[in-house]
Amino acid sequence: MLLRRFGFTGTIFTFFFIAQEAAVSQLNFPAGGFSIFLILTLLWAALSTPEVAAAVGFGAGILLDLSPSTSGPLGHWTLILLLMSYAIAFFSYGDENMRGNPLSLILLVSLAQVIVLFSYLVTGFLLGNSVTSFAQSAITIAGSGLWTLVVTPLMLPAVAWLHDLAFDSRLRI
Amino acid sequence: MRNGGENRGRLLLVILIVSSLFLITLDLRGVNVLDGLRSGTQTVLSPFQRAGNVVLTPVKNFVNDITNLGRTRNQIEDLRKQNQKLREQLISRKNQDGEIEQLKSILDLAGTARFKIVSTKVIAQGSSLAFTRTITIDAGSGNGIKKNMTVISGEGLVGVVKEVFANSAIVMLATDPAFKVGVRVAGSQQIGILAGLGSNTANLQLLDNQTTIKVGDILLARGSVNSQPFVPGVPIGRVTSVSNAAGAVTQSAIVKYFANFGSLGVVSVVVRAPKADPRDVLTPVKPVPTPIPTVTVFVTPSPSASPSGN
Repeated sequence: MLLRRFGFTGTIFTFFFIAQEAAVSQLNFPAGGFSIFLILTLLWAALSTPEVAAAVGFGAGILLDLSPSTSGPLGHWTLILLLMSYAIAFFSYGDENMRGNPLSLILLVSLAQVIVLFSYLVTGFLLGNSVTSFAQSAITIAGSGLWTLVVTPLMLPAVAWLHDLAFDSRLRI
Repeated sequence: MRNGGENRGRLLLVILIVSSLFLITLDLRGVNVLDGLRSGTQTVLSPFQRAGNVVLTPVKNFVNDITNLGRTRNQIEDLRKQNQKLREQLISRKNQDGEIEQLKSILDLAGTARFKIVSTKVIAQGSSLAFTRTITIDAGSGNGIKKNMTVISGEGLVGVVKEVFANSAIVMLATDPAFKVGVRVAGSQQIGILAGLGSNTANLQLLDNQTTIKVGDILLARGSVNSQPFVPGVPIGRVTSVSNAAGAVTQSAIVKYFANFGSLGVVSVVVRAPKADPRDVLTPVKPVPTPIPTVTVFVTPSPSASPSGN
């Protein structure tokens, strides 16, 4: 059962990862654009238990770390997504007002997206990565947060349905 | 029972955090296996990126049309191709002019200043959410591409090859914050270091405090040892503003790149450096304003006209 669940989840994440790398990244949206892979990970975490969210965040982080366009060391995205996924699930698990309300989920994911990118930038700086100018970083992070606000409502029904399919949780969103 | 579940959850979290830190440590220590993993991912992703590029071209064109406010993509693409062709011809002509000058002065120093290039198509752009500026090109080690080769467009320097795979390569763009190149000013030959700022401009730091720079000065690549990563003489950009901070040891300036990084479709990798430094022969020509002819009108009074009107 566990293998089936994580196998299904892995397939979904791999599909979204390829879609992100092969399609979404190519479209060159203004202000940094958005990442459907990050949105998927954060939404998935918000709908899961903290343990599952941590495992999913870890796997998603590994995939992002393997992306050739990633500049940081392997394990950097893994650490950030693992912690953020666990945090999201920890705060939202058991709170039906949060998990059952699409608006709360969208705001939570958008905020988490901003925190993830900010954390990635700061920890990247501490790990010795080159950082772009403050203004450019601020535009990218803020732009990404706004794009996430727009894109998450479009993805939420599909992600919730896939999550139900994987974990048979029958969430009502 | 619940306590046991919580403890298991915490244990899992701790194990995963330790694993992440372990991976970071291994990577920072330069373990080769991890590089191989990224290389493998690129090999797997490459066909999808090619397919995505083909399928998404109309969408990209649509987005670009909106950005360009009414100008059709086809017209721009045609003009860009023509422009690139003319610039390449101009560069070639300038090389030949340089050769003639050298022959005239009977110095017989350097041979030709031609680059041997491999033209490639840009198949993917790196996500800007990773705070880096990269592109993926559709030529790799099979086409003679190697790490640290200079990448140019018709306008000038684009970047440097960062990673090479069998059929593709990743190019670090000159706009990347980690990008640094030694430059010299065309004409005055002052030297400095140019660093990317994450946008279409870069920061120039002169090395000599006795020299000065002015707006409009053109920068060329100074060239590296064995011409890697940079071949000499490639046009880079034009100085747009100069900083004269009181406490600064040397002058610094903001430089606008010649290359348009927002619309890179075809780029070329310099696979063989010129035998001799082409010096300033590749310097882009400043546009000369067309003189407006002065129109002189001669008026001859009609002999039949009379003041009385009869």
